[in-house]
Amino acid sequence: MKTPEDKLKDLGIILPQAQSPVANYVSAVQSGQLMFLAGAGPAPLPDGTMPKGKLGLDFTVEEGYEHARSVGLIQITRMKEELGDLSRVKQIVKLLAMVNCIPDFNQHPAVVNGCSDILVEVFGEEGRHARSAVGMSNLPFSIPVEIEMIIEIRD
Amino acid sequence: MGTIEERIANLGYNLPNASAPVANYVSTVRVETAGLVFTSGHVPRNPDGSFITGRLGKDMSTEAGYEAAKNVAISILSSLKTEIGDLDQVERVVKVLCMINSTPEFTDHPSVANGASDLMVEIFGDKGRHARSAVGMASLPANVPVEIEMVIQVR
Repeated sequence: MKTPEDKLKDLGIILPQAQSPVANYVSAVQSGQLMFLAGAGPAPLPDGTMPKGKLGLDFTVEEGYEHARSVGLIQITRMKEELGDLSRVKQIVKLLAMVNCIPDFNQHPAVVNGCSDILVEVFGEEGRHARSAVGMSNLPFSIPVEIEMIIEIRD
Repeated sequence: MGTIEERIANLGYNLPNASAPVANYVSTVRVETAGLVFTSGHVPRNPDGSFITGRLGKDMSTEAGYEAAKNVAISILSSLKTEIGDLDQVERVVKVLCMINSTPEFTDHPSVANGASDLMVEIFGDKGRHARSAVGMASLPANVPVEIEMVIQVR
């Protein structure tokens, strides 16, 4: 059976670098078999800057989808850093996906699918999660998407 | 029919048929190792399945928001029943995150969220008494007035 690492390789994905928080909080905390991952934004653009802007104003739904997919990969990187081996992920449990958008934007699910799709591509059925997709009036540094996760860990 | 479902029927509530999400996520995830069920964000629907829409502080009253939150809580119970089979298995409603589509000036989020909180206590008694956050969102999918997710402890 293919591991999540095999699937990433098949998809031609090299995991991005994930930065550690610089304030008094951490990227991940494990409690029992649950791990809580802090909210993460997308990976920097090729020029090193962060994507900035709102859905409904600066980004199309398709661009938002790609940014949400990028957030998913950042969170997979964090899982790999915390667990060493992605096969230790028993289940992706829950996403809270926050989309930076104008008040009239209403296609949050189509954006957040970018993250949900990559999780299912990499983890299969174990990647299928509960989720909430909502719109925020702004996000740190004007990033378009921030997503926090709860995952279940194998012993 | 279990005790809780009898109570739901006696109170005149109908559990709608739980509908499965159409993208790569699910309505609920049960984590056996923690005895917890995490739900996706649920949204209010009319009897014909269409979304209830509106923004608090703009075109929906607090009272209508309260009813929408109650509608969502009933929908969550329906998804929960699908996940665990029998609502008598509920040991505690642990945590409710109530996200309200509202104008920047709107401040009566708790009065809207009470629609869900009151329903859970009406159905489950002290077991329905939960921790909660009630917050305002810049926008929600399909312009629904409220989206609610819950964490529920089960046997």
